Amino acid sequence: MQAEEFHHSIRPGLVIMLPRLMRFADLLVGEREEGTALLRRALQRMLAEEHRYSHGVALDVWAFGEIYRHWLGELRDHVNPMGQANIEDESFARLFGEEGEEIDMITASFIGNLPPQQRLTLLLVYGERLDHADAGRVLDVPPDTIAVRLVRITAAFADRLGSYEDEGGMVEAFYPEEPRVS
Amino acid sequence: MTELSDELLVAYVDGQLERKQSRAVERVLEQDDVIARRVHALKDAHSRFEAAFEAVLAGEETIVEPSPEPPGPGIFIAWRNAAKVGLAGAGLVVALVLAIAGYGWPLVLPNFAGNRSDTAEVEWTGSLPATWQDDVVHAQTLLSRETLSVSPEGQANQDLIGFQLAQAIGPGLKLPDLKSEGFRFMRGQLLRAGDEPVAQVLYLGASGAPLALYAKKGEGAADRVFKSYREIGSVSWSEDGIVYLLAGELNGPRLTQLAETIKAQADAPKPSALNAVVSVSAPPPPPPPRPPAKR
Repeated sequence: MQAEEFHHSIRPGLVIMLPRLMRFADLLVGEREEGTALLRRALQRMLAEEHRYSHGVALDVWAFGEIYRHWLGELRDHVNPMGQANIEDESFARLFGEEGEEIDMITASFIGNLPPQQRLTLLLVYGERLDHADAGRVLDVPPDTIAVRLVRITAAFADRLGSYEDEGGMVEAFYPEEPRVS
Repeated sequence: MTELSDELLVAYVDGQLERKQSRAVERVLEQDDVIARRVHALKDAHSRFEAAFEAVLAGEETIVEPSPEPPGPGIFIAWRNAAKVGLAGAGLVVALVLAIAGYGWPLVLPNFAGNRSDTAEVEWTGSLPATWQDDVVHAQTLLSRETLSVSPEGQANQDLIGFQLAQAIGPGLKLPDLKSEGFRFMRGQLLRAGDEPVAQVLYLGASGAPLALYAKKGEGAADRVFKSYREIGSVSWSEDGIVYLLAGELNGPRLTQLAETIKAQADAPKPSALNAVVSVSAPPPPPPPRPPAKR
């Protein structure tokens, strides 16, 4: 590859973003092994068809969108798309910390029980700090939808946190002495 | 009790209101405990989400992490972390990295070790530093006592600076004149890579960030190799036991052209004043700094 071609390649950017892309894919499918496999397939396609990337578009927004659309495409092709949404609590919680690490199980459990699109909405805005327009571009929805999702999810979680506080012991039950993840 | 919607309060917590609107909400908070508690809960929710996503990212970064002292090109996956995600998971991560690496072009970074591989490996790269403090600490590792030993008074004298740098790097060091390319020599100093000195020579063009030529003792590929790290492009090559790296916010063709000019000057039959000075086996003490040349 010549220097000029390299200068316009998306590969360096993708490698630099790898941890962020992995987080996106893992949270999308709810599990690290499957998330990594999804990301690998999506990256292969991105690299094979990198001409589809328009320079001037934020590479992270484009790459997140590609992973999401790749996942959506595979979901649509699956014989049992509804069955694909189920994720195991333990595998999901492991994304938030390894054995022996302190994990905020209330938050992990709440996020894990959200539909994938809502999980990603949270991730893109609170984790990636994208504005609503860019988050909407990734998920193919209008910015208003992102705003509405955020309000609903955050309000629901605030209610959940409030109910734990009101019920006292509930908080302890969700913070066992040993992490629930083994 | 004042009625404020969750839509408004979430926008307030997320920092998306105008300053005037935020102040209005704050005035309500001072007077209404119920709303204040709701905002507190929303802020708690917000900060827990942020912390949770940070925790996930930290886990991903330990899986694809750079080795502290990379022995050679490649993205490194720490064994302890690979073990954490299980053999199958690690294999997938490796495959993932190779899926990108397999296309051949490396990213980044000065290959001062001169151990460039012609295989299809991706060369070492780290994740982006998270903060400006990370950037600064990385830069600090390049400084040594010698950094301050190159005469600041003599910076206007390119020959003197060249002489001082050549003493540390080797008599073959070339300090090119890039005026014909639109870059003025500004200053030179000694940095370090590990325990070895690295010369840094800075040039400034009519606009934009400085152009830097780095030189370090070592053997490497004689052919020019272009790489890029974020907006910084670089070209490296080796000659006479010195590895050179030219870096700046320029595209590949422009950097390659500048590297050609530097090489052409080095290959020119007429020895530069610098080379004449450093070619003696026991160099005399450096001459006193000359007054800055008239421009």
